[in-house]
Amino acid sequence: MNRETIVGTSAPRVDVRDKATGQALYAADIDLPGMLYGKVVRCWEHAHARVVRLDLSAAAKSPGVVRVLGPQDVTANRYNSSVLDLMVSEQMHDMLGDIEDQRIFTDHVKFQGDAICGIIAKSEEAAERAAAKVIVEYEPLPVYLTADASKQPDAIRFTPEKPGNLAFQLPEPMFPGHALGGGDVEAAMRDADLVVEDVFYVPKQKQCQMEPHAYIAKLDSTGRLNCWTSSQMPKLVQAKLAKLFGLPMSLVKVTPTVIGGGFGTRLGLISEPQACAMAMSVPGHAVKLLTLREEDWVISPSRHPGKYWMKIGFRKDGTPLACDARFENYKGGYYLDASGTAFTAGAWLGGMYKFPALRYKGESYFTNQGLTGAYRGYGNPQTNFVLEQLIDRACAQMGADPVEWRKQWHKGVGDDGWCPGVTYPSCALDECLDRGAAAIGWSEKRRQYAHQSGTVRRGVGVAVMNHTSGAMPMLLEHTACTVKLNEDATAEILFACSDMGQGSHTALKQIAAETLGFPFDHVQLSSGTSDVAGFDIGAHASRTIYVGGAAVKKACEDVRRQLLERAGRHLQVSPDELDIRDKRIFVKADPARAIEAETITRAGVYHFIDPATGQAGGEPGQIQGYVSFFAPHNSPPFGASFAEVEVDTETGEVRVLELVNAHDIGRAINPAAVEGQLEGGIQQGLGFVLSEEMYYDGNGRILNNSFTDYKMFGPSDMPKITTILVEDPDPVGPFGAKSVGESGLVSPVGAVANAIFNAIGIQFTEAPITPEKVLKGILEQGVRDYGSIGGAH
Amino acid sequence: MSSRILPDFELLLPQSVPEAVELLAAHRDRITVMAGGTDVMVAMKFAQSPAQLPDYLMSLEHVPGLAYVLFDPDKGLRIGAKATIAELLAQAEVKQHYRALWNAARTFATVQVRNTATVLGNLLRASPAGDCSCAIYAIGGTVALQGPAGRREVDIDDFWLSYGVTARRPDELAVELILPPPAAGSRCAFKRMTRTNEDLAKLNVAVRLEMAGNTCVDARLAMGCVAPTPLRLTKTETLLKGRELTAEVLQSVAASVPWEIDPIDDKRSTAEYRRQVSGVLLKRAIQEACGAA
Ligand SMILES: Cc1cc2nc3c(=O)[nH]c(=O)nc-3n(C[C@H](O)[C@H](O)[C@H](O)COP(=O)(O)OP(=O)(O)OC[C@H]3O[C@@H](n4cnc5c(N)ncnc54)[C@H](O)[C@@H]3O)c2cc1C
Repeated sequence: MNRETIVGTSAPRVDVRDKATGQALYAADIDLPGMLYGKVVRCWEHAHARVVRLDLSAAAKSPGVVRVLGPQDVTANRYNSSVLDLMVSEQMHDMLGDIEDQRIFTDHVKFQGDAICGIIAKSEEAAERAAAKVIVEYEPLPVYLTADASKQPDAIRFTPEKPGNLAFQLPEPMFPGHALGGGDVEAAMRDADLVVEDVFYVPKQKQCQMEPHAYIAKLDSTGRLNCWTSSQMPKLVQAKLAKLFGLPMSLVKVTPTVIGGGFGTRLGLISEPQACAMAMSVPGHAVKLLTLREEDWVISPSRHPGKYWMKIGFRKDGTPLACDARFENYKGGYYLDASGTAFTAGAWLGGMYKFPALRYKGESYFTNQGLTGAYRGYGNPQTNFVLEQLIDRACAQMGADPVEWRKQWHKGVGDDGWCPGVTYPSCALDECLDRGAAAIGWSEKRRQYAHQSGTVRRGVGVAVMNHTSGAMPMLLEHTACTVKLNEDATAEILFACSDMGQGSHTALKQIAAETLGFPFDHVQLSSGTSDVAGFDIGAHASRTIYVGGAAVKKACEDVRRQLLERAGRHLQVSPDELDIRDKRIFVKADPARAIEAETITRAGVYHFIDPATGQAGGEPGQIQGYVSFFAPHNSPPFGASFAEVEVDTETGEVRVLELVNAHDIGRAINPAAVEGQLEGGIQQGLGFVLSEEMYYDGNGRILNNSFTDYKMFGPSDMPKITTILVEDPDPVGPFGAKSVGESGLVSPVGAVANAIFNAIGIQFTEAPITPEKVLKGILEQGVRDYGSIGGAH
Repeated sequence: MSSRILPDFELLLPQSVPEAVELLAAHRDRITVMAGGTDVMVAMKFAQSPAQLPDYLMSLEHVPGLAYVLFDPDKGLRIGAKATIAELLAQAEVKQHYRALWNAARTFATVQVRNTATVLGNLLRASPAGDCSCAIYAIGGTVALQGPAGRREVDIDDFWLSYGVTARRPDELAVELILPPPAAGSRCAFKRMTRTNEDLAKLNVAVRLEMAGNTCVDARLAMGCVAPTPLRLTKTETLLKGRELTAEVLQSVAASVPWEIDPIDDKRSTAEYRRQVSGVLLKRAIQEACGAA
């Protein structure tokens, strides 16, 4: 039995009323007096070109225009819009080869949509009309859309620091042979009785967050640069802007606005540099910069697409011997976090199964596709699509049950997680597999679907995954939190990490209320502005509850200790003998001996001298708690997904009938929010595997940067969903919690692909698996009974 | 790239059909008619060049008396130029007697779009992917056009000339669509394929069969997204006429379709795939029409 009363309940989300009634203020909703409007002029004609002439004179004369800005009119400093470089040490940063290769306005267009110049005008309309009058002449350059194209020796270099357009490979000093893993892969493969191997393509998936990027910036009368942004990481944006514009951080103020969805796209900077550069050219005026949906689509980073090769060797009895893999991602025009996904895709691979030998190479190549960066899952769905399909191919050939095989060979407590040397403190994957299998009816359906006839075939599939809770020890995991008690014993918590709509601030409030022994509504939590909030790296890497929650808990424990100490002196007992419930502090052994928390806080603030006695009542001083917290671990969550699909063998159409997402959550602080994360994850996982992909014409111009032609699953496309929360408290996480923010979308990918395999006996190496590809596969290979493959039963 | 601002245009709001026709005659090629605007607004926001933009936009909003859907068992179904997809769906007789059209309307877009978009707008847009267009092509009917010289009716078979172009003259307003009355033994069906449910069709098909027992006396088959305009499958129709709908006949019908269509690769699918599934979709529509779904 848990003794908690607030943690573990589905408290209503703190942001829903405002969002549902239209009262939430997004950056685009904010209007300031005398506000001007910015417009970034972008290159839409080319994906790779040099600007040979830029003529702003006609635009400058356009009605309503206040300023026009070319590359010469803004700082020449370069930047890296990702923030990973701030989360590693200087040494590490050099070893990884992180670079700053972006400019506010460029004369070398590296992807369609690169920024050329800016217009500031009195209205949005005037800015747009002036933008149309900008004259740009380009010299088109060869367009490289894949790694194979851009790595050719005669290809133009994207940036001098990176020969061969190899933006990143695992660095030799840390990864001998530029590979992650260990053991003798070659030798192990020679011993293998069965080797499965294939080359896969993983798609360029877009976050499609609801709120297009919007900013307001203003250089105020004190010389401070102000920026209103819905970034996922306001404190790092402050640091990045200060560096870019050569300002002390005290002269940069970032105000986080309500975030209309993130999913990774707001990790770091997007158009803050342009918005701020514009504002600095018109001191005293706020400049609003809005982004069209079609523009947002190409200028904000997407998931990393690329070519993913993998080979796995097994002994006859199913023992995995070795895994060899290489993921070449198509980075896009700029470096950003080139080191990130290239590494993590292999990290998740290493964290999954007990391969005695593993060799993973991750490489990022510049291409003239749109930018890539963080997208929920961060390399994990890519690996899931590849690894989980190959495991099922091997299971089919060996006659092994995919659930049983996974139960036998997945890593667990004590094994190395995604980072060598950091072992799993908890793992409830077996229970996820068992409960998920029961929920979907695994055994009966696998038996039933092994032999089928007719044009419509059904299949069930499984896939598993491991993820992380925060990015320790690869990246900085630091969060500061301040808790202040008001005189009426209500608490105000300041914590810079944003709530992107995932419910994190609600769950953090629950953690705070539980720890303090206060009612939920007597706790307030906000991200504040960069002026008041302490350091925090931001909402990424599924860290907000695991790391942020631990920080909030510690800061609240600080407050609680101070309260109990004062109460102890008043009641003349040791603080250890006291507890707080509903703001009443009482002796555990004798609950009638008690004092209201408010009596203490009021006396602390309104500390008057009683004229009659000359004595003050209670102890003076407002109680505040504080922590500057570094996460000690990364307690990875595990998950198992089960999918049932129906494949129309005459049309190749795949219908997902049911998806079960069983998740090793540790402890659900807010079960409804956790279910929401798992359900949303399923929607994006299904998109990855079945319908979503950004694609380009041969000249690198995007063909589907709108909801008309980029197809996500809508409500009516969604299958029946079952979420299973497996609660086996983690020894490290706050109240036993592990993360759930990203991981829910990972294993639905492999589960659906494997269900298709079960239905028609064909595997597909290119995601998304569209009806066009399925029908082609059927026409070329023929529908096969799963039961007739290898030793499958 | 789209724009957050609409290009400049003059909005015309005629108060009657004659006034609308007068305005059309006065501005001819420089005017665009707007019913629900679900195509017009998108086209204006995405216009690639000023030449594609109209100087005048004439909204039918204030023209009275065009928002009807009227059924008469002897005369058929009359759909006014302002009748929306949602209004069509609200008519029980449409569901009962014009099943193909009802199904096309039901799967069409989203609630919000159905509340705004008109049935006639779908015909006038002359897109090869139009869902109602496809169903109406199979059912047959006439489009009534009102011009300065009076009213004329154009058979739907002669209505679409090329991509985006209809038989409507620049000075004519489409006022209504007339569908034939239901005949005994007449059955129809509509099917479409999309990438996700809320999408424009990658392939759509509609059939109308005149059946005597299990024998097909007459057939109208229409397919969309396989040519510059919605397409009648006239050759395939001949394989059905006078035949009993056996498995073999259905097979030969399905096999004939790929030879009669001329699809292209586009954002929604490939020519190859459209050819591969065209026969399957038609076969299924025939089966559904005959109640053997
Ligand atoms: C989100 C979205 C989803 C959609 N989904 C579908 C779908 O699933 N299936 C589908 O088929 N279509 C779909 N469409 C396209 C569109 O909604 C339909 O074509 C609709 O029927 C057009 O009707 P409207 O009244 O909006 O036409 P409008 O946009 O007003 O006009 C369309 C064309 O017809 C002309 N026109 C209209 N009325 C007259 C008249 N009385 N006389 C002369 N010319 C006229 C206009 O000038 C214009 O060229 C979708 C559109 C959107 C925006």
